[in-house]
Amino acid sequence: MPIARAARRAAVRLGAVALTGALLAACGSGASDGSSDAAGGKVTITVDLFGSFGYKEAGLYAEYERLHPGITIKQTDTEDEQDYWKSLQTRLAGGGGLADVQGIEVGRIASVTQQQADKFEDLGKYGAKDLKDQFAEAKWSAATTKDGRVLGLGTDVGPEAMCYRTDLFEQAGLPTDREELARKWATWDGYLELGKQYKAKAPAKSAWLDSVGSLYTIMIGQEEERYYDASGKLVYEENPAVKAAWDAATTAARAGLSAKLDQWSPQWNQAFAAGSFATIPCPAWMLGYIKGQAGEAGKGKWDIAKLPGGAGNWGGSYLAVPRAAKHKKEAYELIKWLTAPEQQAKLFEKQGNFPSSTGAIAKVADAKDPYFSDAPIGRIFGDAAKEAPVQILGVHDKNVADQITNALSEVERKGTAPDKAWANAKKGVDNVMG
Amino acid sequence: MTTRAGRTLHGGKVAYAILILAVLVSAFPFYWTIVAASRSNADLAQVPPSLLPGPNLIRNIEAVMEEADIGTALVNSLIVSGSITVGTVLCCTLAGFAFAKLRFRGRGALLAVTVGTMMIPPQLGVIPLFMVIAELSWVNQLQSVILPGLVSAFGVFFMRQFLVQALPDELIEAARVDGASTARIFWSIVVPIARPGMAVLGLLTFMAAWNDFFWPIVALSSQNPTVQVALRQLGGGYVHDQSVIMAGTLLGTLPVLLVFGLLGRQIVGGIMQGAVKG
Amino acid sequence: MTQGAGPAGRCPPGGALPLVPTHRPTDLPKGRTVTLTAPAGTAAPPTPPPDEAARPSAARRVWATVSPYAYIAPFFTLFAAFGLFPLVYTAFVSLYRVELQTPGDMEWRGLGNYTALFADEFFWTSLRNTFTIGVLSTVPQLVMALGLAHLLNYKLRGRTFFRTAMLLPYATSVAAATLVFAQLFGHDFGLVNYVLGLVGIGPVDWQTGTVASQVAVSTIVVWRWTGYNALIYLAGMQSIPSELYEAAEMDGASRWRQFLHVTLPGLRPTIVFTVVVSTIGATQLFGEPLLYEGSVSGGISHQYQTLGLYMYEQGWGFFHLGRAAAIAWVMFLLIVVLVGANALFARRRSRKEAGR
Repeated sequence: MPIARAARRAAVRLGAVALTGALLAACGSGASDGSSDAAGGKVTITVDLFGSFGYKEAGLYAEYERLHPGITIKQTDTEDEQDYWKSLQTRLAGGGGLADVQGIEVGRIASVTQQQADKFEDLGKYGAKDLKDQFAEAKWSAATTKDGRVLGLGTDVGPEAMCYRTDLFEQAGLPTDREELARKWATWDGYLELGKQYKAKAPAKSAWLDSVGSLYTIMIGQEEERYYDASGKLVYEENPAVKAAWDAATTAARAGLSAKLDQWSPQWNQAFAAGSFATIPCPAWMLGYIKGQAGEAGKGKWDIAKLPGGAGNWGGSYLAVPRAAKHKKEAYELIKWLTAPEQQAKLFEKQGNFPSSTGAIAKVADAKDPYFSDAPIGRIFGDAAKEAPVQILGVHDKNVADQITNALSEVERKGTAPDKAWANAKKGVDNVMG
Repeated sequence: MTTRAGRTLHGGKVAYAILILAVLVSAFPFYWTIVAASRSNADLAQVPPSLLPGPNLIRNIEAVMEEADIGTALVNSLIVSGSITVGTVLCCTLAGFAFAKLRFRGRGALLAVTVGTMMIPPQLGVIPLFMVIAELSWVNQLQSVILPGLVSAFGVFFMRQFLVQALPDELIEAARVDGASTARIFWSIVVPIARPGMAVLGLLTFMAAWNDFFWPIVALSSQNPTVQVALRQLGGGYVHDQSVIMAGTLLGTLPVLLVFGLLGRQIVGGIMQGAVKG
Repeated sequence: MTQGAGPAGRCPPGGALPLVPTHRPTDLPKGRTVTLTAPAGTAAPPTPPPDEAARPSAARRVWATVSPYAYIAPFFTLFAAFGLFPLVYTAFVSLYRVELQTPGDMEWRGLGNYTALFADEFFWTSLRNTFTIGVLSTVPQLVMALGLAHLLNYKLRGRTFFRTAMLLPYATSVAAATLVFAQLFGHDFGLVNYVLGLVGIGPVDWQTGTVASQVAVSTIVVWRWTGYNALIYLAGMQSIPSELYEAAEMDGASRWRQFLHVTLPGLRPTIVFTVVVSTIGATQLFGEPLLYEGSVSGGISHQYQTLGLYMYEQGWGFFHLGRAAAIAWVMFLLIVVLVGANALFARRRSRKEAGR
């Protein structure tokens, strides 16, 4: 292997030389990227994120810049985490184009701690270990390597609940009170049973839930062990929890309870406004999407109840500092501030991202959201966050989940037999593992 | 539709009808882009869909500026496409002239190799190319897209075909007899004659570079995108307001449409010329 | 390489270009050589100092033999760095297990990546999809282009307008076109299904249906390229001497027979050219299926994943660079075989006809 490695180096060098030669010999062009720091004690911290962390919207950057004269924060944002991750991997491999702060989704954090620990700064060097008590235990430990390096600070978590449309429930003659519903759908069977009742009397073109993929994902979020066991072995095939979630999702698909919308697809987005479904499993960060997609017209039509089958967690993120960052110290100070309890609480109130900091959770316990019929979101999500199991994370968690939800879509949209679809998912996972 | 045969045939009503239909089919997606870009996400979810433009164009353009940094993308695309166009036209005119009019050993073989490279799928080079630009720390920088874009076997071949016809050997001979060096001949005789061909190649190269997509999405990211990278980001996003996506598409397409509107005639002529000759 | 196959003088010097139409107007403007005026420019012939021209030195003679290479050097340097090197290096990478995340660790696999491909169901699926989408997009595109070119060849009012308008799709990027078409083909809110619904055809699932999704993806390709090909055919048609038509007319041949016996044979090199270009394009198809739903797997059942997309999924979705490189090489070889077969076929045909 060292020989191959040397050969590769040599070959790449050769290519690089040829390329530089080309640059000189031919029509060279000296384009440079525009982001260079201004001199004179001023520092520009670059932050590269995915989805919506909401710092800019909540005014946190502006506040930080006010508190620290001389510091400017520049944020870039990729909507789709898959694209973001791909691009981040490419740049980590290439060692170029990295920002001072990079966001990391919880489904990828195991890949970072197990495969790429040497590409990120050990934040312990800057004193991060003192912050440990601020965070929920699971959130902290997931970003720590076996030898104790701290590679990221937790931002939000994704405690799960169930969002539903009170107007559609009324039309179908179902109760709309969140406590009553929580009792009725205490189990997933109860949830599916209500779904069948809904379907019988539902308004035209309206289904019980958006997609069986989201049902599966939310259920799997209630489990401690999912695709990997604690030793890092891939166990999704034997895991009864995966099987249970799969069965519930295929049952829902075959009963015709879903609107057959792939999550994150254009159709899915349009369906919020069109009222194509009555319930959607919602982690805390989903609230922002619902508001955005359903718009002003949806205000007061939505409500939130406790999730069937117990508490769970879906998603959440970290902030990390790559080794190749230009301003490591400043970057650390920034993420320390952004993830501190005060800022996390503020972010929840403005954007709905639920805090991972224990102090912040206490602060927001009484929060309510007028958009969702004044649902006590602080309490609902706070309880879920406390009760949610500590999940075992694996390197390929996200890839495995993608293959399984793909196969579920086959059952849902093409009527593929569940056994065949499961076989497809398994083949897909094997292909991912290579 | 009776009488005369061959090329002097007059088009009848049916011919016009079919052609107009073809034009409508060609143009409809553009019209639809404008309609969708000027409405809202909720409008687009209506059945039946409305076919007239709405009032939201400005709002959507603002949103797309916010979400995908189309402004940077437009500037980047302009830099990338401009550099590629200038570089390609220059390199290809040089090589095309040599292949068309200069005698040297291995000319036939090298030309065959050049044409053969048109068969190489762009996907093939992506992996090593990426390793090389990574080694040079060029990831996410515009030159990583510009330099590979300069290799155009088609361009070399196009300029050669053009010059074989447009540049009479006698002209070169005469200049040589007068003692002009090859470099002198190139600048004073070849380039002026090659200008129409260079213009066509430049237009085609510009459009291709503007629309290029496979390599830029690997080499660049949303931090420093070209228009196509930004569009891809819009298309694969979480927040997925269709009317905003269409506004982005509109913005990304406008510059090429502008070029096309101004120079469409020349482009048509160029493609037809290129087809016959090359 | 195919010199002598066709009628003498129809292959351009260089000889290696059997794939491109080589109609040349037989009436090259000979007068031009006499007048010595450049058609496009105003460049006066240079008048260098006469004494230097009178005795070319030895150094100059050496330079004269070397200098042509200086003209092709920029192109070939660039080509070496960005064309040849990647080609060779991809072959090298395809023999290893390499992950994007840890590109420094290469593990020798020999031909393992290739043999794994042949046992890989997804590879065969994508190969089959590439073929079917290729046929679905290339055949209608070229047939329609031929028909449109025939119409455009009539004497028409506003012909420049028609030609330009038809080329409009060609100016659009894959990304933009695909985003628009993805919208039009939406299941619940798409215009296509709405129109189909008006005539009583139930909503078609343009995303999950294998045939439907492939038709949708092919539609984008057809839309973008039909006009372009029509113009190329038109150019070919215009270079067919009108005497041929007049002769056919005198023989009493109908319009249709004229099209079959004059237009089509005259267009053969052009048709071969467009078939080859379209075949190459179809084999490399990537942007349309990627952007159609924004998924690297080409639909939930890989139902429209092409080879190009599968390579991308392996390399940049799963980070298996070695396997991706193997797929890239298979694609290249496939194109070489297809183009070779095409050339052979075209050569056979013209031999046969020459011998008739």
